[in-house]
Amino acid sequence: METPTITVSMPQNNAQALFEKEFMPHLDAMYNFALRLTNDEDDAQDLVQDTCMKAFRFIDSFEPGTYAKAWLFRILKNNFINDYRKKSRGPSKVEFEWVEQSFSGDEDQEPATHADLHAETVNEMLGDEITAAIQALPVDFRMIIILCDLEEFSYEEMARILDIPIGTVRSRLHRARAILKERLASYAKSKGYY
Amino acid sequence: MKKNCNHQADCLKLIQRIVDREASPEEEATFLANKEQCIPCQEGYELEQSLRNAIKSSCSSKCPEALFARIKSKLFVVLILISILIPLFC
Repeated sequence: METPTITVSMPQNNAQALFEKEFMPHLDAMYNFALRLTNDEDDAQDLVQDTCMKAFRFIDSFEPGTYAKAWLFRILKNNFINDYRKKSRGPSKVEFEWVEQSFSGDEDQEPATHADLHAETVNEMLGDEITAAIQALPVDFRMIIILCDLEEFSYEEMARILDIPIGTVRSRLHRARAILKERLASYAKSKGYY
Repeated sequence: MKKNCNHQADCLKLIQRIVDREASPEEEATFLANKEQCIPCQEGYELEQSLRNAIKSSCSSKCPEALFARIKSKLFVVLILISILIPLFC
């Protein structure tokens, strides 16, 4: 791994203290996000490590008092797109046998509003089944669902992290959920949940 | 009690904004007051909440201790390098 070019200009102690106080508490969330993006534990670890080194390198551009987690996630996402996306592993197909499709259509296109899926069915499903369903989604949809449902970022924060307009956040999220529900519904049906 | 919702697409978008805490308090209060009268809205609301809870409980992983330690030690090395290099160039 390359040693980062050192551009930290704030006093070292301050930089280290700021890093440990503001950034280290988000390591679990960063690792989890990286794991969902890469589908591989080793790649996820490398991605988090690279992100931390980049964050430290550009720590001067972080404004204390702003949301450190959103800042870190933006770096992580950019890092993933630039360096990891091409080599990321595909989703596990062991259980779901779902083929990852490229949803190249218009993102604002209205998704189906009603999948034949009920809350009780989702509640009965095992954690592994839900995880596999998420992992089988195309990465842009997987990304927005994790940011919203797991990390609870606001639409505005997601727009900044993903570099997309807030309207696209809404439509992408809506579409991601529609696809997830459709897939869970057909999986539930095939496994005899109802 | 309505068995069909005439505004299902719009209601679903509102339900998701409520679950995402992006709806205004007025929008949320109006929806919650009306949902008891509409089966599709009631079921839609329960489904979106269940889905969110299921994702929350099944997609969380903790950062391995070894990675945490590796990042800290790498940071320490970078700081040592800075403390050696900066006096040489200043």
